[in-house]
Amino acid sequence: MISLPRVLSMSEMHGRDLLRHHFAVGLLIVLPLSFYFSSASQAGTHMFVAGGVGMAFSISGATLFSILSSREVDQRLVLSGYRPIELLLGRLLFLGPFGLLIAAGFSTLMWAISHPTRPWILVFGVAMVALVAVPFGLAVGAAVPTELEGTLVLIGVVGMQLATTSGAIASKLLPFYGARRLIDSSSHPNGPIAWPSLLTVAYALGLLVLARVLVSQRVSIQRHGGLSS
Amino acid sequence: MTSSAERPGYQLVATGITKHFRRTVVLDDVNLDVRAGEVVALTGENGAGKSTLLRICAGLLRADRGTVRVGGRIGYCPQSTGLFELLTADDHLVMFGRGAGMSRDEGLRRGHAILAEFDFPLREKLMTRDMSGGTRQKLNLALALLADPSVLLLDEPYQGFDRGTYVNFWDHCEKWRQANKAVVVVTHMLAELDRVDRVFELPAHASRQEVSR
Repeated sequence: MISLPRVLSMSEMHGRDLLRHHFAVGLLIVLPLSFYFSSASQAGTHMFVAGGVGMAFSISGATLFSILSSREVDQRLVLSGYRPIELLLGRLLFLGPFGLLIAAGFSTLMWAISHPTRPWILVFGVAMVALVAVPFGLAVGAAVPTELEGTLVLIGVVGMQLATTSGAIASKLLPFYGARRLIDSSSHPNGPIAWPSLLTVAYALGLLVLARVLVSQRVSIQRHGGLSS
Repeated sequence: MTSSAERPGYQLVATGITKHFRRTVVLDDVNLDVRAGEVVALTGENGAGKSTLLRICAGLLRADRGTVRVGGRIGYCPQSTGLFELLTADDHLVMFGRGAGMSRDEGLRRGHAILAEFDFPLREKLMTRDMSGGTRQKLNLALALLADPSVLLLDEPYQGFDRGTYVNFWDHCEKWRQANKAVVVVTHMLAELDRVDRVFELPAHASRQEVSR
């Protein structure tokens, strides 16, 4: 059975650990801003997409490094009594709201500066980026052996999402496609909302299940049989 | 023959442990039994599989063959100081205490008591990245002891300890013995072997075999 105190404890300590990386937290905020402002001169929705994808980089990256840097400790935490899913839920409990907070601030800024046609869709689309970025970072972090491989996977997937047009087949297969289409829709009066939202939620859930399986494999310990005294 | 599950007085019984890493046999049919109130020194040259055996006994690594049975909770102290770099000792005590079902206050109270025994600088609220190697290792040891385990698996736990703390550590082994714990200490310190009940030496590196393809 999942223990709420253990999940909350993991969430609290994970939050403390991440927030004490002051420079990294600064980069988390600066990265999407730099993507957004560097694309501001381009026509259409590109600057919104660039900002949203920049946020995917920063939130996925923070999640990825948080799980990879604690690989050794996680197994000891399981030995001490945690269940692997409690470690995962604890991280999710901090990173989810943290990502949504950054998304809210960032999309409000884009709303104020660039005045999209449908601003609430922009806010929603950027929030969807955060929603899928956390489980994506968790799944990649649990799957790869070291930070190097994780960073390369991150650059590959998120970079491809930014480099390809939304009509490209490769783009449609990537996890941030639904969120990207939502951000696109914020500048078009009749842009789709329902199916990109569902696609994003489906991707987020799928990645979460994958992360659950991979984290369990990575940190589970062998419970030995007992001895009669 | 008595089965491993029916060994009165034993807290740790590892039978027929075999472990390969790729083509190298690191452990080949190793048996290790430790009674309650017994301190066993696990020795052997570099690469003999001491840490591997300890990790298998702790459940952190799966053996290819063999079984491990334990009589109670395991406390494991690794050789490397794998801790959260930006958390303090108190943060770690709270987190590991929660794992064992302790409240925040209980984890801190127990942890501080253990750390005080090893002269840990409790007043300095340092993050682990700012601690010396020996201080980190004291925290690691405290985390292993926090839930009062009946089996203690210590992988060169005194790395970085100053002379006083090092001597103190071996004094603690005596206390743990008296508290009826089963203690396994990986060590290269042959001068201290008179302070243990038994020395278990893993076979030398040269005797390990290559597995045929």
